[in-house]
Amino acid sequence: MLARAHTFTIEGLQTRHVSVEVEVRPGLPAFAIVGLADTAVREARERVQAAIRNSGYEFPARRITANLAPGDVPKAGPGLDLALACAVLAASGQLPAERLAEHALFGELGLDGTVRPSRGTLAVAQATRRAGLRGLALAGGSAHEAKLVDGLEVAVVERLSSAVRVLSGGPADPLPDPPLGESSATASDRRSASAGPDLSDVRGQHHAVKALVIAAAGGHNGLLSGPPGTGKTMLAQRIASILPPLSQPEAIEVTRIHSLMGGGVRELARSRPFRAPHHSITTAGLIGGAQRGWIGEVVLAHNGVLFLDELSEFARPTLEALRQPLEDGRVAIARARHSAVYPARFMLLAATNPCPCGYAGEGDRCRCSETDMARHRRRLSGPLLDRIDLLANMQRDRAREPTTAAFTSSRQAREQVLRARERQAARLRADGVSVNAQMDVRMLQRHVRLEEKGNQMMRRASEQGLLSARGEHRVLRVARTIADLDGSERVRARDLGAALALRPDASLAGSRTA
Amino acid sequence: MSSIIQEQPSPASCAGCLRRSWLLASLGAALDYCARDRDRLLELLALEDEQLLLAVAGRRRAELSARYEQFEVEEPPHGQAAEAVCRHDPLYPRALSGDSAPHMLNVAGGARRLHELLAAPAVAIVGSTRASDYGMEMAGSLGRGLAVAGVTVTSSLADGIAVAAQAGALEADGRTVAVMGGGLDVSCPARRRPLYERVRRGGCAVSELPWDCAGRHWGPLAGERIVAGLATLTIVVEAEETPRDLAAARMANARGRSVAALPGRVTSPLSAGTHALLMEGAHLLRGAQDALELLYSLGANRCVAKTASASHARLEPRLRATLERVGAGSDTPDKLMGEGADADAVLLALSELELMGLLARGDGGRYVPRCP
Repeated sequence: MLARAHTFTIEGLQTRHVSVEVEVRPGLPAFAIVGLADTAVREARERVQAAIRNSGYEFPARRITANLAPGDVPKAGPGLDLALACAVLAASGQLPAERLAEHALFGELGLDGTVRPSRGTLAVAQATRRAGLRGLALAGGSAHEAKLVDGLEVAVVERLSSAVRVLSGGPADPLPDPPLGESSATASDRRSASAGPDLSDVRGQHHAVKALVIAAAGGHNGLLSGPPGTGKTMLAQRIASILPPLSQPEAIEVTRIHSLMGGGVRELARSRPFRAPHHSITTAGLIGGAQRGWIGEVVLAHNGVLFLDELSEFARPTLEALRQPLEDGRVAIARARHSAVYPARFMLLAATNPCPCGYAGEGDRCRCSETDMARHRRRLSGPLLDRIDLLANMQRDRAREPTTAAFTSSRQAREQVLRARERQAARLRADGVSVNAQMDVRMLQRHVRLEEKGNQMMRRASEQGLLSARGEHRVLRVARTIADLDGSERVRARDLGAALALRPDASLAGSRTA
Repeated sequence: MSSIIQEQPSPASCAGCLRRSWLLASLGAALDYCARDRDRLLELLALEDEQLLLAVAGRRRAELSARYEQFEVEEPPHGQAAEAVCRHDPLYPRALSGDSAPHMLNVAGGARRLHELLAAPAVAIVGSTRASDYGMEMAGSLGRGLAVAGVTVTSSLADGIAVAAQAGALEADGRTVAVMGGGLDVSCPARRRPLYERVRRGGCAVSELPWDCAGRHWGPLAGERIVAGLATLTIVVEAEETPRDLAAARMANARGRSVAALPGRVTSPLSAGTHALLMEGAHLLRGAQDALELLYSLGANRCVAKTASASHARLEPRLRATLERVGAGSDTPDKLMGEGADADAVLLALSELELMGLLARGDGGRYVPRCP
């Protein structure tokens, strides 16, 4: 007898539909699984057998062949257990086969027949809906995640026997309560995002805080440079608190990625991801692609912030690999046996010391030779620095530090950022982008009109060799954002002046002389 | 052997000088070992060849003596645009005399050009290899200012002050003399090649060692005596109070040449050396103008010298105020904003001043006043 059940397998960020076909026929007792199954799926044999027996059903003592179609897609993970068990039961006549065709089943089985949640539930739920199936049966632990998808019937099955009941037309198990402390937040709560570190903790450093607000407002990539102990990392960690909340589609994307990476998801992600990998990270760790379906930090930072502390300590090839995602907002990975394209639109924030010892510009503490400095600058220079719009230099100010007031609070800054983003979105809607950092040359010409004085300044800057053509565009983008933060529709000379003062410059990219 | 024979160089006399150069290169590490300080190095370099062999060669004495006896002049393996000029040649710089002066110089650019360059007044610009951005800026502006006035700038091509001075002089299309610490072919680090090529295009690079002799520890120190020897005035821009940083000034002083120094902050160890020189009676310089006056002995009307603040009189008041505050030490946006100014106005003023070439961004994002 033949039965078919629906489930999904996960490959990177994609889900692939898998139909589990089980045939039970007379012969010596055997249980074979075919169809490019990985170790976890082949081990399912034992789990399925035990779960069926321990749930009070009979495991047919006949020849059983399970085929996972399509045959050319590798299947991975234990999420296929439930579908396999139900198909076996249906094929041996212990379960009516009609409803099996309408539901997707997703979950791992325990030997006693309990159903365990499996990673990637949100993506599976979305795929179930796209596949036109009526419902999805899964473990209670991941039901809240699946509920995030509208218009999908989610049936909670805590045990294999519950699944049989549901598929026979009976009621599902009750939805478990969401864990305490994670009750869903109201919309106004989302806007303030009170939790986490706050910008008001940062004393002094007004220039750098301002630069951070500008970066957040325009989605610009930024670099913080300063001696150790000036608060570069502290400042960077606070950027999440001033970024606007995720929009609904963005939130789904972020949640989906985190669900696929096995993070327990109870509700839609609210705050933007902030990823800060250690500088020993490898290229595969940053970009992904070490093995099939392996995603890197740039993908995890999608719609959020990628923070690279001690930028000059990262391996050069690793940094070079950031060029494509920074340019295209996606990363295409091609390896010998697989290739994939992942979304990776993030804001890059980096921090570095001004020289290897960290004290350049601190009067006489710096003991780096010209060669050391040149090497340090070379590591930072090149294509990556080309994609950084803002450079904020931070200095230690020992004398005044304890008494200096904070520049702003996260709440205030966030309001400013939100307003600036609204202005940008309104202006750029027709162009299909949302923030100033994404403006191309054509849009710059349309949206950035300088005053006479501003034009003069730009001419002078390029005459003096202070700005390359690309550098000019970066300065204009930043100037546009500064004007937006100020609520000005025109880009005034003062906006341009501030943008020029924040430009990443030759003092980082080259040697001081010759 | 300090007497100079006034006649066309004969091959024999030049062979002796070339042999000296070969010997210095062959002694190699042994000379490094024996000449750990300036005085000792100068003493050793003043010795005649045989005595030098006795003093330095050690266990290799017999071998080196044998090779010394058999020395033959080799043509340089490639047709370089450079000449060897020995102390018996009329084109050998007159300014280099004394016991420890080099017996011969390899000159990239030609001996005649060197002679022409040294016919103009020559000024040596020396200082620390680990200069601050202030020092680099000042050395560059001195180089520019002197080159514009037709003065020949001499210095080594070491990091820091020396290279900033060379770059400054070349910016003004000046012709410079670069003294190399090792052979002309090999002692220029790769990162200095572009600058080195520019020096050789209009000016000269000189070295007392053979073409292919890799730099030795004593080379740069010995080079300082040539730098100071060629110049009538030695300017120390930034120097720590170490024998190494002050070597050129001491050598110039010992030979009765003028020494001048640029002041810095008294708290900065990088200016401790220059301040020590000033205390000892070196001339105080505020810029290229002062150097020129000193050079042409116009000391009487020094007070007319244009100071920086005078040339800024035409600026808008807000820009002048910002520039003055930067000059007075409020050199970061944070410090300027801390004094109660509007943040955007401060940044605008800084950017405008930078565009005018009156400010430059130095290390760590601090602003450094520039001398236009």
